[in-house]
Amino acid sequence: MTFVTPKSKHGDASDGNLGGRLSRIDGPEKITGRATYAIEHQIEGLVYAVTVQSTIAAGTVKSVDSKAAEASPGVLLVLTPDNITHLKSATTWAGTPGPEGPFLALPKTVRFNGQHVVAVVAETLEQATAAAALIKVSYEETEHVYGLEDPKAGEGVPIDPMTKSWGDAETAFAEAPVRIEQEYKTPREYNVAIEPHGIIAQWEGDKLTLWEPSQWVDGMARSYAEWFGIPFENVRMISPYIGGGFGSKALSLPHGAVAAIAARMLGKPVKLAVTRPQTFTAYGGRPATRQTLALGATKEGKLLSIIQHGVNETSKLGMAVEPLGSVTAIMYAVPNFSSRQNVIPLNTVTPGALRAPGENPSAFGIESAIDELAYEIGMDPLEIRLLNYAEEDPHAKIPWSTRQLREAFAEGAKAFGWSKRTPAPRSMRDGNQLIGWGVAAGTYPVRRTPGEALVRILADGTAEVASSSIDMGQGTYTILAQTAAEVLGIPVDRIRVKLGDSALPRAPVAGGSQLANLMTGAVHKAALAAREELIGLALNHPNSPFLDLQLNTLTIADGTISTPRGERADISIADFMQHIGQEKIETLRDTLPEEKKNTVDRYNNFTTMMAMKSPTEGGYSLHSWCAHFVEVRVDEDFGTVRVSRMVSALDSGRLYNPKLAESQWRGGIIMGIGQALLEEGIIDPRNARVINNNLGDYLVATNADIPDLQVISVGIPDHHASVLGGKAVGELPIVGVAPAIANAVFHATGKRIRDLPITLDKIL
Amino acid sequence: MTGTINLKLDINGRSRELAVEPRVTLLDALREHLDLTGTKKGCDQGQCGACTVHVDGKRVLACLTLAAQVEGRAITTIEGLADGDGGLHPVQSAFLEHDAFQCGYCTPGQIMSAVACIREGHTKSDNEIREYMSGNLCRCGAYSHIVAAVREAAEAAS
Ligand code: FES
Ligand code: FES
Repeated sequence: MTFVTPKSKHGDASDGNLGGRLSRIDGPEKITGRATYAIEHQIEGLVYAVTVQSTIAAGTVKSVDSKAAEASPGVLLVLTPDNITHLKSATTWAGTPGPEGPFLALPKTVRFNGQHVVAVVAETLEQATAAAALIKVSYEETEHVYGLEDPKAGEGVPIDPMTKSWGDAETAFAEAPVRIEQEYKTPREYNVAIEPHGIIAQWEGDKLTLWEPSQWVDGMARSYAEWFGIPFENVRMISPYIGGGFGSKALSLPHGAVAAIAARMLGKPVKLAVTRPQTFTAYGGRPATRQTLALGATKEGKLLSIIQHGVNETSKLGMAVEPLGSVTAIMYAVPNFSSRQNVIPLNTVTPGALRAPGENPSAFGIESAIDELAYEIGMDPLEIRLLNYAEEDPHAKIPWSTRQLREAFAEGAKAFGWSKRTPAPRSMRDGNQLIGWGVAAGTYPVRRTPGEALVRILADGTAEVASSSIDMGQGTYTILAQTAAEVLGIPVDRIRVKLGDSALPRAPVAGGSQLANLMTGAVHKAALAAREELIGLALNHPNSPFLDLQLNTLTIADGTISTPRGERADISIADFMQHIGQEKIETLRDTLPEEKKNTVDRYNNFTTMMAMKSPTEGGYSLHSWCAHFVEVRVDEDFGTVRVSRMVSALDSGRLYNPKLAESQWRGGIIMGIGQALLEEGIIDPRNARVINNNLGDYLVATNADIPDLQVISVGIPDHHASVLGGKAVGELPIVGVAPAIANAVFHATGKRIRDLPITLDKIL
Repeated sequence: MTGTINLKLDINGRSRELAVEPRVTLLDALREHLDLTGTKKGCDQGQCGACTVHVDGKRVLACLTLAAQVEGRAITTIEGLADGDGGLHPVQSAFLEHDAFQCGYCTPGQIMSAVACIREGHTKSDNEIREYMSGNLCRCGAYSHIVAAVREAAEAAS
């Protein structure tokens, strides 16, 4: 269990309250190496598991020769498809029943290259690794489909719920004076959290404790409980710090099941650390996508019609949909619209969520296409966006709660100096460097699920906040301390925050950029109740020094209780608690609606995504917005692209801690620069293997790739979006970066790159 | 391979003894045998910088170093960077102040690299800092703030 208490120095006292630029309170632990990430937990008698992954893409495991491995020093157990415990199928994240039949963590049927098929457990990591290398697996291979480009891939399956349409898009397009129609592609991309996945599993009787990095301890604990057929309460998942997730650490995965099975069979705690190369297939990242977009417009640039058809890959096992129409349907006012999507199953691990799933590739399409339209009719790319500005949600046909996108365009353009841009491609240069300026917008919805929090005021005048929600760098520890400090009137350095443990009050997934809003809401509610109880005691407790004053209110600030007009001397909370002999004041509150407070709904609320509200529920359309302005420099001879300057203006509503929110924004923008210029999973058609499955070959942005980045907040508090006025932060900033860069590259070179990443071979 | 060897390592000014197989890396010796988990494993193949430590004052990737190689050399890890009594090294303070991290997993490696980068004199411009800090990947994307922190710490040191 981890307590984090603020220790950092900060600018002024107001920093401790919500909205202040407090340094992160888990910072001191992280910069000194004291922060203990899940699998760094020290435990007696630990043994090590290493998995062996398949080397074919499709077929069956015929046999496993494990003799040499079993005879290898230190080896305790070899798990294969033949002896692996058959677990029960677990409920999906959506709350639907899991697939029929048992859950096989090491299946005999191979459906992708890099699937775990064998695990070796030994006394030490080195012994397990060496023994795993001695395992010989023989397969019966069948035909595979390696990727969307594979001629065998076919058309896939239409996903009807993705279909959106209004007006008559086909006719309007056919009759439009200006038409453009193009295809846009994004490759397979990976989360690449710097902390690889891993787990320590330990059984005590039928109680299972898991130290595992997790974006959702309650949801993942449920999977383990169902797999092993034990009560939910018997599973405890501990995840105090998470070394990055970006969507990849929200669900329980086969390697976790393997570790838990091995731990039960051996009666010892088992650690299984997925190796970096294995991370590329131990779970899925963003699926490869392609989409055709047809835009019809007037000669003046007014959109008349948008027709979109999108496709994403999925696995042979599970249906992963990357909603390509999500931004397309809401970015611009268009009278006629049609969007549909197919999903193509092939031999890959099931794709997962990677920062802004859907919105990210969706924006690459529409924000490139609108730029193409601007050049087609000779209009400024910023102007065409303003001309087609959506004053209300064009799809849901309801008002936006807040949409500060116009402000984002204006502020961003001003800071960037957009007005100095010369319109023609190849018209700006510096020696042999072609300079290009590009713009693109982005958006991410506000998702909402109820949360729960406990606030405890202690006899020493300090307070605790507890929740099973997690902090993977978004700043949860810090903003929850700030929320409690502000409401309780207790200085932030006297607040301790406890997170990342399924034994604590519950929280839904830290995903969809929802956590900050829902948890500040829950802590706010619990803290208000605690404060009220404290004031109630001060007014009414027989031993209260204020009792005889017959007041109906008191103030609490800076850890001190005072009377409204100084009728009595101030008393610190600590002294007061001692005075009345109270050990603690404890309030547990949730933000579930009355009718959902029953046991079943409560359980589903926190362990599935069933209760997550759509951004249009409640009469307003709730979204965050941003505009990115990019300068690129392209070497005329070599075609190398460097982003040399960027300004982004973002509307995430109210920021609970601007210092930390800006870090998330910059982080998302940086990931977007890498996505635009570097990131691409390369698949060998012969065996559907990810051949660049390491950090030297799958390139993510390094420090030297990143220029000065200016971020500007244009948000205003949005109380339709959340109790305290915030909107989505973490996923927003990556949306629109890749098209802004592609648009800048076009401006620099006159070459339109429609498939990511933008590499020199495509430019020359 | 079964045999273990006895090693005496000088870590953060303390002598630590351990019996490990000769194939154990410095990184795993720290993390799995010596309860020094501040040094992180991000790739185990020399590509991310998360495992950066100092050996005789120079930055070294602990995942590409065998524990047996560094006997008799002075090893400094993130846990030993500040002088005792709970204070922070100026680079650590600058990281905190500039919010030069999010998840914190690359951070010990970044800080160890930053201290060496300043010592090497590779902080003459922001671009030089970027270049010499590029062996340390940060997927959370704290690069801008890392540059600001290194710049400030370098200025304070000069
Ligand atoms: S763990 Fe050593 S460089 Fe990545
Ligand atoms: S802070 Fe998360 S990887 Fe750098």
